[in-house]
Amino acid sequence: MNQSKHLHVNLAITLALSVALTGCATKSPNLSSGNVEYGDSKTVETLTNEFGSTDLQSIAESMSSSLLQSPVLAAKSRPLVTVAEVKNRTSEYIDTKSITDSIRTRILKSGLVRFAVDTSGMQTQVDEITRQNQGNLYKKSKSKKIGQMEGADFRIEGTITSIVKRADDVKDVYYKFSLQLIDNESGVMEWADEKEIRKTSNKSLY
Amino acid sequence: MVLFTKPQIVVLPLAMLMTLSGCSVMRSYDDELSQTLNLVGQGHIDQAITQLESNNTGADKDLLYYMEKSELLRLNKQYKDSISTSLLADHLVDEWENEAKIRLGAVAETAGAVLLNDKTRRYDGHDYEKVMLSTRLALSHILSGDWDSARTEIKKTHEREAIIAEVRAKETEAVEKESKEKGITTTFKDLNGYPVETLNAPEVTALKNGYQSAFSHYLAGFVYETLNEPGLAAPGYRQAAELQPNLKILEDGLAGLETRPSLLKQGETDVLFVVESGSAPALKSIMIPVPVIVSNLGVIPISFPILRTDPTHTTAPNMVTIDGSNNLPLATITSLDTMSKRALKDDMPGIIVRGIVRAAIKTTSQKVLMDQGGAAAIAGIALNVANVVTESADERTWRTLPANISAARAIIPSGSHEIVLPGTSTKQTIDIKGSHALVVARQVGNQLYWSQPIYGNKLPGYAQVSINKSPDVADQIVKKKAGKKKKSSKKK
Repeated sequence: MNQSKHLHVNLAITLALSVALTGCATKSPNLSSGNVEYGDSKTVETLTNEFGSTDLQSIAESMSSSLLQSPVLAAKSRPLVTVAEVKNRTSEYIDTKSITDSIRTRILKSGLVRFAVDTSGMQTQVDEITRQNQGNLYKKSKSKKIGQMEGADFRIEGTITSIVKRADDVKDVYYKFSLQLIDNESGVMEWADEKEIRKTSNKSLY
Repeated sequence: MVLFTKPQIVVLPLAMLMTLSGCSVMRSYDDELSQTLNLVGQGHIDQAITQLESNNTGADKDLLYYMEKSELLRLNKQYKDSISTSLLADHLVDEWENEAKIRLGAVAETAGAVLLNDKTRRYDGHDYEKVMLSTRLALSHILSGDWDSARTEIKKTHEREAIIAEVRAKETEAVEKESKEKGITTTFKDLNGYPVETLNAPEVTALKNGYQSAFSHYLAGFVYETLNEPGLAAPGYRQAAELQPNLKILEDGLAGLETRPSLLKQGETDVLFVVESGSAPALKSIMIPVPVIVSNLGVIPISFPILRTDPTHTTAPNMVTIDGSNNLPLATITSLDTMSKRALKDDMPGIIVRGIVRAAIKTTSQKVLMDQGGAAAIAGIALNVANVVTESADERTWRTLPANISAARAIIPSGSHEIVLPGTSTKQTIDIKGSHALVVARQVGNQLYWSQPIYGNKLPGYAQVSINKSPDVADQIVKKKAGKKKKSSKKK
């Protein structure tokens, strides 16, 4: 009887302790100065008329949908594609790699194509495979072999241009983003599309 | 315009502001920094730092102190210390950006500036100084071998320029509105005795604005190109060429962007030589009698800032010689002397409005006291003395910045090189490594300060893929080639 009583007391203490200890953990602490809040990353941003997040998202959405509907990708089983440069012909510091990264991610998620490492990542690729084949750090049977890289069937390249005009209190910016898919072996352009964006603002925004 | 009618309303805050602002009202920043720069010009950089410290003994250091100190530390090749000091300045500029965005905080201090002078305002830095701070930070990061951090600062420069453009557009609008409301039509051209030609020179008016520099944008292009980001390098070079047209080095930056990576071979380095000369111009205060039509107060002497060019800045070298034979012409791509004049020209409408309003308030309150006679008249005389003593334009400006920035660029073999600036006696041996490198020289007075880049483990990589063949890897490649030969001979 006494043993049973002790058991109950022990259980109660353990339970109380565990509640006390884990009680706080179940509630995530909320540290806030009251001045910072999270927003929806997809919110349409029109703070200024410079290239912004909404432009990047709409270009990536438009281009990836268009490319995925292209019959050329369906003609081959999961063709290998690489991303070449998107030339920035504007005077704005637009991270064109960030745009192509978004396009590549959307296309890759479809499962219809595979992507080969692009030129900006080539040195890292070569360094890694060289490292695996140097010295005695790796098992010879497990290290990736030199000379096994696959050449891409297609490359994606493009340009972004802009025309900026000011008159009185109005600033008008027109962007044109062009993208092409080129067959690396034949040099034939298999697909191309454009996305145009126009943004107009009054003087207080520039 | 509604002015104070009770003199004590003005006298009390005036006395309080004089007490609170302490030495800032009486301080001659030009005198302080002239001494510091003399020491730098004689090669006594440590003494220059000590002198700067002795002029800033208070616990609460301001933006200007951090900016001047970071520049001195960089000249002394203390790149890490310069970076940490610059980041303290950068934090203060961040605060200004946040306040400028939400339009709070600065209001009380602006009111102080109306009663006393612009010296009592918190020093937020001139616009070109804010932009230059990020550019100088990028230089220090590159010299200490950290290109990724330099990229962060370069990106900050673009964002800062956008904020400045927005704030200035709104401020210009506000000054125009206030001038209209108070009936102030005076421009700097109407100030009899003001050296109008300094602000109206063709090179000053030709600038797009007072804060965007061709050097900052060219450096942005160079950093992005080094990091193999041609999409971001292109606008850097393009904007540099737009800001300072018809300069070959700037036009070549963009024209050669696509071909340079394939031309640059292993064992070669694309080097940007930056030669800075002189120091940024000094701000001096002059008194000019201005007709104050507000309340018909007649002609009142008001203080205005003028810029005095560093006389040594014209001695900028026009060539850099590498290993005794390779002469590269240097082109002046940015003149901070001209930029500061443009910045002052753009600031003048606001300075004039504040000056006239301040003069009107002071004169009216003094007149009211004098009219009352007796003890009030004595207070009026005291106020007059205080007005004369405190009426002085703001002389604060980042003086250790160079007057001119010149540049040259060449692909040279990596390794040790002897570099000379013609007209100077010192030869400097500099070690050049990686695909891209930066060499900075600064001429102040008779002294030439060379940078000595620090290289970490991560050097800027070549766009052309390199294969470091270890014996194992080389052996595999040889075997593969041999295998292919056997197969092709069998086919025959």
